[in-house]
Amino acid sequence: MGVSTVAVTVYALACVIPLWIIFASSLTAERTLVQTGFSLWPSDFSLEAYKALFSGNDTLINAYLATLVITVVGTAGAVIATLGMGWVISRRTAMARRFMVVVYIPMLFNGGLVPLYILVTQVLQLRNTYWAVILPLLVSPFLVFVAMAFFRDIPEAVLESARIDGANELRAFVSIVLPIATPIVAVIALFYAVAYWNEWFFPLLFINDPDLRPLQLLLQNMIGNLNAAQALQPTAGVSAPVYQLRMALTVVTIGPIILAYPFIQRFFVTGLTLGATKG
Amino acid sequence: MRSDKSILILAVPALAFFAVFSYGPMVGVIVAFKDFSIVDGIIGSPWNGLENFRFFFESGNASRVVRNTLMLNALFIGGTLISGMALAIMINEVRLRLLKRTAQSVVFLPYFISPIVISVMLQAFLSGFGGSGGMVNGLLDGFGISPVSWYTEPGAWPWILTVVKIWQMAGYTSIIYLAAMTAIPTDVYEAAVLDGASRWKIALRVTMPLILPVTVILLVLQIGRIFMGDFGTIYAIIGDNGTLFETTDVIDTFVFRALRTSGDLGMTAAVGLFQSVVGFVLIAATALIARRISRKSGGL
Repeated sequence: MGVSTVAVTVYALACVIPLWIIFASSLTAERTLVQTGFSLWPSDFSLEAYKALFSGNDTLINAYLATLVITVVGTAGAVIATLGMGWVISRRTAMARRFMVVVYIPMLFNGGLVPLYILVTQVLQLRNTYWAVILPLLVSPFLVFVAMAFFRDIPEAVLESARIDGANELRAFVSIVLPIATPIVAVIALFYAVAYWNEWFFPLLFINDPDLRPLQLLLQNMIGNLNAAQALQPTAGVSAPVYQLRMALTVVTIGPIILAYPFIQRFFVTGLTLGATKG
Repeated sequence: MRSDKSILILAVPALAFFAVFSYGPMVGVIVAFKDFSIVDGIIGSPWNGLENFRFFFESGNASRVVRNTLMLNALFIGGTLISGMALAIMINEVRLRLLKRTAQSVVFLPYFISPIVISVMLQAFLSGFGGSGGMVNGLLDGFGISPVSWYTEPGAWPWILTVVKIWQMAGYTSIIYLAAMTAIPTDVYEAAVLDGASRWKIALRVTMPLILPVTVILLVLQIGRIFMGDFGTIYAIIGDNGTLFETTDVIDTFVFRALRTSGDLGMTAAVGLFQSVVGFVLIAATALIARRISRKSGGL
């Protein structure tokens, strides 16, 4: 076996094993976890933490709902805004060039955190709403340019035929361009979906209401504060498996991504190479 | 191109977004020059010139956070690029199809893991459960080295964070390199084989020089962002652990903490503006260099 084979195998394992260890420890009883630490196999098998998570109270369900709403609404809005703008600036008109500058400048300069904070909390009054997380992250200039690069490759002749049939630009976009663009729509949707799913900075900044916390923020609260983990328990007090619970919550947080990963991974590779070679 | 106004409706959502959330805050930077109070609002608060900037630079925090930002980003950029390239070359070298395919999917996985989850894993590995010491200390113990209390050891953190960053990004970066490698014509390799070059010689003398333009572009793009912190990762891992600020407090985490604890929005906005302006200068300069290079190398 060559050096590369060994090295690649070791690195690939290093990418997976930490996740597996988290999973294994979420199934290990608290006392064993504290005494012997991690193991690759749960030696003292226990479903305690998952039972607590799912039978406890609404904390986890609320967090899941929050994350789902943010991810679904955010991704839908982001895809619409990104594709629309991507199409308009791919058209090589005078207007397109002007809009391109509008998209480009925020890549170079931003006002910083404080003006954004004042905008969201004072001007728009969005504190403790999901909009405070969804709206500030709605459009990524980089993905607008990825969409633009894709649209530019669509042959003009395809559009010409639609125009001859009497379709206006809007109609041509919806019924001709979008069906061709399915791969790029998938790529862009996935990039946004993962970003929204993993987002925790804006929730940290703008969401104080415990009932509105998305998953990542719930998990973050739980790392900072062991007692917070006990709030997930049906009955407070009695020897709560706080560490095991933390591991279980981590598993529940990454679970959907790991399950979807085999299906979404190839789209990301497409998007990445598109962005890298054309962006 | 025929002009058709109906198309403009497609740009409206994004235009509205940029107007409010990108250009709005740009106007809001005037807060940095004001003695801001929420009651009086942005317009009503009195001006106080460069006082906010002076306060930041004289507080003693400025040199620390600027130094840490540059130092950590340099480590991240170097670590990610080198590991990404090494990984890509090695994946490219693997002959077993199944391993190659599996590795290509698996190394990309850490990119999907949120900083919070990484922080949970790191805490469990470095300090274990209930002060049990964690896996890394267990390993050190095996070599007869006394355990380290990682979370009170600022000196180790630039390196720990770099390892985390490499774990997160090496696979992602390697995919970009692998894409660049597929663009290398096969006859270049055939010629090298005819000349009797070994596999390592080929990797070193053919593949690496040919993917150099991609490396330079990635490097230049990232240097443009060297003044931006990596808030997500760093704050998720370090949090408010003041013992570690000496080596880990970057501009972004400083701004966030100041925003939350001091409530001095004027000073905090000044720091943010300072960061944006220096960042802009760096990006503009590197964009020019990038354009030069990509023109010379015939585009990416």
